[in-house]
Amino acid sequence: MPVVLPPNVSEKNFQKALDAFAGVVGRQWVLATDEDRYTYMDIYAPGDADEHIPSAAVGPQSAEEVQAIVRIANEYKVPLWPISRGKNLGYGAAAPEMPGTVVLDLGRMKRIIEVNERFGYCLIEPGVGFFDLFAHLQERKIPLWMSVPANAWGSVVGNALERGYGYTPYGENTRNICGLEVVLPTGEMIRTGTGAMSNSACWQLFKYGYGPSWDQAFVQSNYGVVTKMGMWLMPEPEATLGLKMQLPNPDDVGWAVDALQPLRLSGVLQQNPSIGNSLRVVATQTPRSQWYQGDGALPDDVLRTILSKYNLGWWGIDLRLYGYDEVNEAHAKIIKAAFAKHTKQEFEVTKWHRGEPIEDSGAGVPATRALQIINWRGGRGGHLGFSPVLPASSEHVLKQFHSTKKRYEEIGVDYYGSFTLFERYTTNVNMMVYDRDDQAMTSRVRNLFKVLVADAAKEGYSEYRTHLSYMDDVALSFDYNNHALRRLNETVKDALDPNGILAPGKQGIWPKAFRGSRA
Amino acid sequence: MRTKPRFRSLAPFMLFALTTSAAIGVGVAHPRHPRPRREDDSAQKFNEGEKLFRARCGYCHLAGGTGTIMLGRRLGKDHALLDQRTDLTAAYVKTITRVGLNSMPPHTRIEVPDTELDLIAAFIARPASAHTPPASPPSTRATHE
Ligand SMILES: Cc1cc2nc3c(=O)[nH]c(=O)nc-3n(C[C@H](O)[C@H](O)[C@H](O)COP(=O)(O)OP(=O)(O)OC[C@H]3O[C@@H](n4cnc5c(N)ncnc54)[C@H](O)[C@@H]3O)c2cc1C
Ligand code: HEC
Repeated sequence: MPVVLPPNVSEKNFQKALDAFAGVVGRQWVLATDEDRYTYMDIYAPGDADEHIPSAAVGPQSAEEVQAIVRIANEYKVPLWPISRGKNLGYGAAAPEMPGTVVLDLGRMKRIIEVNERFGYCLIEPGVGFFDLFAHLQERKIPLWMSVPANAWGSVVGNALERGYGYTPYGENTRNICGLEVVLPTGEMIRTGTGAMSNSACWQLFKYGYGPSWDQAFVQSNYGVVTKMGMWLMPEPEATLGLKMQLPNPDDVGWAVDALQPLRLSGVLQQNPSIGNSLRVVATQTPRSQWYQGDGALPDDVLRTILSKYNLGWWGIDLRLYGYDEVNEAHAKIIKAAFAKHTKQEFEVTKWHRGEPIEDSGAGVPATRALQIINWRGGRGGHLGFSPVLPASSEHVLKQFHSTKKRYEEIGVDYYGSFTLFERYTTNVNMMVYDRDDQAMTSRVRNLFKVLVADAAKEGYSEYRTHLSYMDDVALSFDYNNHALRRLNETVKDALDPNGILAPGKQGIWPKAFRGSRA
Repeated sequence: MRTKPRFRSLAPFMLFALTTSAAIGVGVAHPRHPRPRREDDSAQKFNEGEKLFRARCGYCHLAGGTGTIMLGRRLGKDHALLDQRTDLTAAYVKTITRVGLNSMPPHTRIEVPDTELDLIAAFIARPASAHTPPASPPSTRATHE
């Protein structure tokens, strides 16, 4: 397999750069065999996985090694793509946007530097996985809880930098970031917030610092390599109270969102629940072929049969209240009253108290079982996530739900969606699950994605994150004043990264050196 | 100036990976390893391998994991748990770890360095005589479901 080199880098210089990297990290941690390149590709991609093939990967063990690598990259004009654990499944996994980019794999930097129980935070390196931090807290009986995504195979830092989320009151991990250590594209090291004081007493306590606040500028960005992250953790509550309900009809998601959004806004419901269609549950437990072998999307009547067999509604709602027993009870009463206006059904209620098994608590407990959905279609499964953000109201939710479902059905893919409810908006994650060996299907999925981005843009919706192949498409929908924001982003990019070596194309931000690569 | 290599360029490699695994893999009886001379050494090695297996592969290959579910579906319940199989060779385990299989993603040499993979593969492919019935049920619900 011929190596795809970075644009404008000769084979000789590429080899020199790899040798220089090896001088920093040791031969063992410069990965440049065919097999290595293959392990960094987006294997779930629909079709052209090698559209984003890296030329090599390099694995530093410390922030100082990251600095040295970044300086070498500048010398040889070799672009780098930083990843933390690289489990960004559905959005490109460990692969870079631009083919030939070298993956800067921070997976060996796994130190949990500090956990502070009193103030509820940790300071960690990028390679720390959700399982690692969870085990650390459990083993030491530290009563702090994490917010964990449904697929917890990845890293706390990478997830937060992608604006990923879990489902506790600390849901969106990007909101929990407090203080970063960053290696800039020139190799210079900075600390954000009050960490910019060399003796800061509040680095992980006070987010803003003095003057412009930079934490969020390094999120979904290619302005720096994050080497340490402060992250707020939630104090373990005394009790939790769970409320579950199955909603029988497709349109029930509308009133459910209208009933819950004011309660999210007022703080009665503090976590962000995910209202997902029940095919999500079925797909983790059975293969599609068991139910349907015909062409096209799963017909509605087949779906009805499956749902009634498992006693599932069209959607499932799973709410959780966290805090003191009496307060949870009072809030549960308010939620029940709001639902009673729309349904005669009662919630299934569960309770948890401190000391009982944590799996029943509603804490973020890492698991990977969600990955099982990828096997729904059979063959070599693959999937993409299409994730627009909408106003949290029935008007928007129902319209978007019906139009997306119709688009899925047009190309014969089963609708698979969820609405995660924040105070003001809802994030609508739609998965497309396909068989990578079915070329016709994967090419239909690729086209569908572009259609969905365009549909959403027409309604004024953007995506909360996106797959590598669609970073330019989504960036293009931010078109106010002839793309003024992109010009700002790229002006900053060129100032910070004159050689354009850090993650060219990330989020549609292209440095001068590679601007011709914009799709 | 963007190079857009075609998907086809990968195919020979994939084919190599999959045929190799098919040849040495599924359903083929486990070749009896000669017994290691130093019994305690190998026990320690398997221990180390088991620990690494749980840490690196346990995400998906303990009870309830997606690997366990899919292997059970394809090969039957008695073949679902990887650490209780007696029909897998170390070479096959290593190949699958690097190239993946169906929905199992490939593992990089940073996720699982070669030295660790050697230990994991040796543990999974340990002779039937080194299989001990698990002391407690293999499910670690708390961390891995
Ligand atoms: C079935 C399924 C369910 C999922 N459920 C969820 C869910 O509930 N919530 C959710 O959020 N996600 C979910 N995901 C998506 C994804 O798996 C997770 O978000 C995962 O945590 C991302 O991988 P990672 O943490 O290893 O990040 P990485 O892959 O390491 O990082 C992602 C990107 O962030 C940037 N980056 C990472 N580290 C750095 C750094 N140190 N410096 C600069 N830039 C950096 C890079 O651009 C990188 O490509 C799901 C996926 C699947 C398949
Ligand atoms: C993210 C989930 C995941 C992780 C992590 C994972 N696997 Fe797997 N593995 C799977 C799945 C799913 C299958 C079944 C594929 C199929 O048959 O469809 C599988 C199958 C296998 C097989 C094939 C067995 C057979 O009988 O053909 C081997 C060998 C294997 N895995 C080894 C490993 C090793 C070793 C590790 C750790 C280094 C590991 N896996 C980590 C998901 C995973």
